[in-house]
Amino acid sequence: MSDEKQQVTRRQFLNYTLTGVGGFMAAGLLISPLRMAIDPVLQPSKKGDLANVGLAVDDIKDVPTRVDWKIDQVDAWYESEVSQTAWVYKNEKDEIVALSPICTHLGCTVSWEGNDQFPNEFYCPCHGGRYTKDGTNIPGTPPLEPLHQYEQKVKDGMLYLGNPHPRGEA
Amino acid sequence: MFLQWHKKDMDQYLQAKEYIDTIVMTLAPFQFSNDQELIKLTYQEELLHIFAAEITRELSGRTVQIPAYHYLKNSDKEIEISRMNEWIADCKKQPFAHFFILTFDAAWKKHEKALDGNLLWLPSVQLGDLHSKEMQQYIREQVMQISELIQSYWQNE
Ligand code: FES
Repeated sequence: MSDEKQQVTRRQFLNYTLTGVGGFMAAGLLISPLRMAIDPVLQPSKKGDLANVGLAVDDIKDVPTRVDWKIDQVDAWYESEVSQTAWVYKNEKDEIVALSPICTHLGCTVSWEGNDQFPNEFYCPCHGGRYTKDGTNIPGTPPLEPLHQYEQKVKDGMLYLGNPHPRGEA
Repeated sequence: MFLQWHKKDMDQYLQAKEYIDTIVMTLAPFQFSNDQELIKLTYQEELLHIFAAEITRELSGRTVQIPAYHYLKNSDKEIEISRMNEWIADCKKQPFAHFFILTFDAAWKKHEKALDGNLLWLPSVQLGDLHSKEMQQYIREQVMQISELIQSYWQNE
């Protein structure tokens, strides 16, 4: 019993240490001196944190635009940089919408107007899945649920995104 | 879904086989003997791996990435080709219709016809920082182009 407890503690300790080292490395890789100067407390984003995706709110248009950024992901064995993507736009109510590009069928990356035959829709190149601008899946195509939505916040005029959630839970 | 040569990915593959008809494999030289080549080779290896992973991610619901194929630079191409074709034949016992081979090595270009897969040759890249903004931008653009190329094969079915 007490043995087990100790093991957990040691693993936790290792975990903290590894995260610490990794975080430090990622900071070196990702953050330019300029950004450091602007925001000295800018932390490398880990899964779960909201990350600055490098897009100013004023630059967000009403047409979905692809945004790519990186986060740090740690699992039991590897620490890796994982690319993230979102389709971002402002809707009629001037609210920011950030949709996950991951097709809810089998996970290919969807594109806004990815197929000339379907203007004004998201299109999945893998099995022809389609979604309307707000991410709703179009019946008769393979996906069975809407595109997920990113947790979001705006800070100092910049867009921050976190984890994607199924619509309604975001 | 993001299918690489991992157990958890194959668990998923087995559930969704009928949708997944495309394989991506990287093809790269290996050697340890020459100091000068070491840096270039490992750099290209890393870059190629990033390309393959990003493409697999982009097209994840239909694409699997299998282990890389490595060869000694001066090995007999005929032998390597027949081994690769055996790999391909084995894969095609599953419902795969497309097999893409990603490489930086232009030497394969003239053997393209003998391969039972589609060779996608990428022009090699100057040594640089894989994590720089410029490199990420470059990789992104290349990945989009390769992904479009693969989609064009899908459309010609
Ligand atoms: S993965 Fe998008 S339609 Fe199948």
